Amino acid sequence: MTTLVKPPRIGTPTPLVDGFEKVTGRAKYTADLPAPGALAGRILRSPIPHGIIRGIDTAEAERLPGVVAVVTGADCAVPFGVLPIAQNEYPLARDKVRYRGEPVVAVAAVDEETAARALKLIRLDLEPLPACFESAKARAPGAVLLHDNKPGNVEREVHNEFGDVASGFAAAALVRERRFTFAEVNHAHLEPNATLAEYDPGRGWLTLHSTTQVPYYVHLIVAQCLEMDTARIRVVKPFLGGGFGARTEALGFEVIAALLARKAGGTVRLLLSREETFLTHRGRPQAEITLKLGMTRAGRLTACAAECTQRGGAYAGYGIITILYAGALLHGLYDIPAVKYDGWRVYTNLPPCGAMRGHGTVDMRAAFEALLDEMAGELGLDPFAVRRANLLDAPTTTAMAQKVLSYGLPACLDHVEAASGWKERRGRLPPGRGLGMACSHFVSGTSTPKHWTGEPHAVINLKLDFDGGVTILTGASDIGQGSSTIVTQVVGEVLGCDWSRLRVVSTDSALTPKDNGSYSSRVTFMVGNAAIQAAEELKAILAAAAARRLGVRPEEVECLGESFRAAGGHDPGLSFSEVVKEALIDTGTITVKGTFTCPKEFQGDKAIRGSAIGASMGFSYAAQVVECSVDPVTAKVSVHKVWVASDVGRALNPLAVEGQTQGAVWMGLGQALSEETRWDEGRGLAVNLLDYRVPTMAESPDIEVHIVESIDPNGPFGAKEASEGPLAGCIGALMNAVHDAVGVRAHAVPLTPDRVADLLDAKETES
Amino acid sequence: MTLMPSFRLHRSASVADALAVLAAAPGGRPLGGGTDLLPNLRRGMGEPPALVDLTAVAGLDRLEAGDDGLRLGATVSLARIAEDPRVRDGWPALAQAAASVAGPTHRVAATLAGNLCQETRCVFVNQSDWWRAANGYCLKLNGEVCHVVKKSERCYAVYAGDVAPALMVLGAEVEVQGAGGARLLPLADLYREEGRTHLTLRPGEIVTAIRVPPPAGFVAGYAKVRIRDAVDFPLAGVAVALRREGGRLTGLRAAVTGVASAPVAVAGLDGLKGQPWSETAATVLAEAVRKACNAVKTTLVTPKYRRRVAAASAVRLAGALWDSCATGQPS
Repeated sequence: MTTLVKPPRIGTPTPLVDGFEKVTGRAKYTADLPAPGALAGRILRSPIPHGIIRGIDTAEAERLPGVVAVVTGADCAVPFGVLPIAQNEYPLARDKVRYRGEPVVAVAAVDEETAARALKLIRLDLEPLPACFESAKARAPGAVLLHDNKPGNVEREVHNEFGDVASGFAAAALVRERRFTFAEVNHAHLEPNATLAEYDPGRGWLTLHSTTQVPYYVHLIVAQCLEMDTARIRVVKPFLGGGFGARTEALGFEVIAALLARKAGGTVRLLLSREETFLTHRGRPQAEITLKLGMTRAGRLTACAAECTQRGGAYAGYGIITILYAGALLHGLYDIPAVKYDGWRVYTNLPPCGAMRGHGTVDMRAAFEALLDEMAGELGLDPFAVRRANLLDAPTTTAMAQKVLSYGLPACLDHVEAASGWKERRGRLPPGRGLGMACSHFVSGTSTPKHWTGEPHAVINLKLDFDGGVTILTGASDIGQGSSTIVTQVVGEVLGCDWSRLRVVSTDSALTPKDNGSYSSRVTFMVGNAAIQAAEELKAILAAAAARRLGVRPEEVECLGESFRAAGGHDPGLSFSEVVKEALIDTGTITVKGTFTCPKEFQGDKAIRGSAIGASMGFSYAAQVVECSVDPVTAKVSVHKVWVASDVGRALNPLAVEGQTQGAVWMGLGQALSEETRWDEGRGLAVNLLDYRVPTMAESPDIEVHIVESIDPNGPFGAKEASEGPLAGCIGALMNAVHDAVGVRAHAVPLTPDRVADLLDAKETES
Repeated sequence: MTLMPSFRLHRSASVADALAVLAAAPGGRPLGGGTDLLPNLRRGMGEPPALVDLTAVAGLDRLEAGDDGLRLGATVSLARIAEDPRVRDGWPALAQAAASVAGPTHRVAATLAGNLCQETRCVFVNQSDWWRAANGYCLKLNGEVCHVVKKSERCYAVYAGDVAPALMVLGAEVEVQGAGGARLLPLADLYREEGRTHLTLRPGEIVTAIRVPPPAGFVAGYAKVRIRDAVDFPLAGVAVALRREGGRLTGLRAAVTGVASAPVAVAGLDGLKGQPWSETAATVLAEAVRKACNAVKTTLVTPKYRRRVAAASAVRLAGALWDSCATGQPS
């Protein structure tokens, strides 16, 4: 069948398919779901950062009228964690508490007030232990261990070397080593964490609605912790107010809600406050980075040696992956002959860190781009020229076995250099104003799933019935990024039918095929490919049906979007519904499936330890220029404009690509300018949106997005990821712009006014 | 979710009624826009038996401008002050200060008196009740110790209102009414530099209006230092009013906020009268501002930075005002 007329689908700026509900306020988020008679859940948290649990007395709370269920660590002896090899966290602490704010007891009561009163009646007998709040102190000899099986409080060490690093430095004209500190940041997703858990005691069924990016992981972990058959659990993800990685693992509160509901034999609504959402954390860890680069006089990199210590918090979470990523994506952006990486993921008595947009790669990339800028300056080279001197020659395979098939970085550089007026304007701006640039990249989906099941990496179902409507059933979690829109566009592109025939039903384990979740920018790439396959199969069924009715062979059928006819014919042909009626004869409702599996050759090299992390079928690339000024009195950095070019393979939805790119840039700017969690002896000082300073609209500069399409051979219609790649570059570009503006090199991020004031003071003292 | 504690809400139609309700409910609190009080109550900072909503009191939202100056009722919103053409023309520093408070939606709800009487703030106080309880509470609320200045007997929670310093340099006075009658006091006298007891209002008293005299040749401005250009409280805020005649200063007033438990009128500037604005004058002003700061670690930004930036901002603002007099341009 050939499709002659097709309404534009991919490549056209397309408003999100679930936008109507969101802008009209009809969208129901977890906390909005009607649940008459639901009990109110509340969590009692540890008031100390480290201690042994000697006793928990809940008797008085249990006697309080209106209290229906009280659960403690005794109610769940099964630990959880996103990595099957590192599950060391309990939904409610057992034996020990390891951070201030760790859940210890939870209560379900008839209302919030009663639940709150019940918490005040609970007596915790905790024996304090010494606590470690910094990586160095946690690693120091004699430091008290958080986990007995982790000597030195090191969760994971990573050491690898590719090429001859020593010779590389020896051959360099310039070698520089710098130490950087990046503050810990949090996703600050707007919707606080929440779970609605309904337990049906008659059937032993549990239904969860939760604020998650990974309903499938939630399903598995809740079954594991409650020791329930997965078949008796249903997990639904309603509308979600952001994720950014905060919700890419099943979290303790979700298990707690389930434990309460089962014990209460009913429905429990557990709504976490903003403070509790900050304490659940899973943000980007504070990182100390020592980076050494060697460069020839012409700007060619000769070697790189990087050390990274991440302050991981109290539990494993994604930690192993995060510390691996920091080294893995030293590769794949530039051609570096020799790269050495040493990483340490450290346990500390703070809320657990996790995955955050640009997972593991961001701080290292920012440091790298800042040092590259400094060395270019010393050698009198233009920052763009230095990047161009080190480009990959794609297609290529990196030392870590990453296959780079499409590589739009050169075009990205050209775009932002021209758009920003770099050549004409740099060095000619008024005092206190400057331009800086940097590059970055990211994976389009990690190519190895965390659970080795042998299943495809993505599955999509399409259902076509008597009504002529096509229901797209997907487990992909739309967290605001637009995945439901992408699958609709992709299916529409293949079928060519009216948009209004397509409906998406997503993320309900009782209805939709399993999906691993929205993380590592895997959805467009993997689910998009599965959607193409499913739609092709449905199209073939329609073509065969049309052929039968028209008395021609299927390949002779022409599809005009909503009608089908014999090729070359001039009669009106068959309507879509006539073809559907024909297709349903003898079979009834049609359900087709599309799957996608990442081939082994893109899953890293078994001979290279750790190479499964950072392996992907396609890498996105970005370059950007930031223009900023520094106030001479307040030392405040203001960003005036950002030019960003992003190689997304192909922009399936340019409107969403632009939005995601701006979001990534702005999230990077937040980390660069003002965001940092602050823990003082384990006490969260910035556990609210006033002190945790996410930039507002008032500081938002114009972010000019240039889309570069390198058409990746593996991507759906050539597409790659579009929302994580540009984040890291923004931080490096701002650090470099500040240097261009006022001549100081920042080695600690964020560049808050007090930090910049100290740098300016130091510069003045020097001169 | 964080619950609001239970209280009785009275919506008074007259000042007399409001005063009667407050007298009958000791510990009751007047309520304006609620942008400060309600979040604090939600975080367990007090459980007043009654809130007395003043926003329906007839006449309290009046904004009058005339030859004898400006009179602003207690419930005039910050958005209105920021936008009113008479305020912007005659007292631009006041409009600037009002416009710099929090975000647009706050300013629509927030009232002038509510802003002036806002609670002092500290990173050890503006947290949840669980947080404070786990920290053993503090002098400001339920506790015996200060976590900022160990062994202190006073509270260092910081006053962070933007409007007060602007009104202070404009010479504003406050109308206060209570069971004992009405009184009029200079705005500075509404405050004392102590974090728990920073308002001098007697129990049951409310602020009913603010009077601002005509500028009398002074030009004034307000400079707010903050990390974000919206939402944030000031790390330091400085208001300056000066009068220039020819090449000489004939008046210079400054007040700071965000750097002590009260808005503080900067002392020690009288010596600059009759002098030209110069580097020497700038040094005197900077030193005087530094002395007015009593900044300790009540915020996430260091006291060192807050003191330094308060002084530097005052100097920049004074210089700009001085120059604006020469060009005839308002600041």
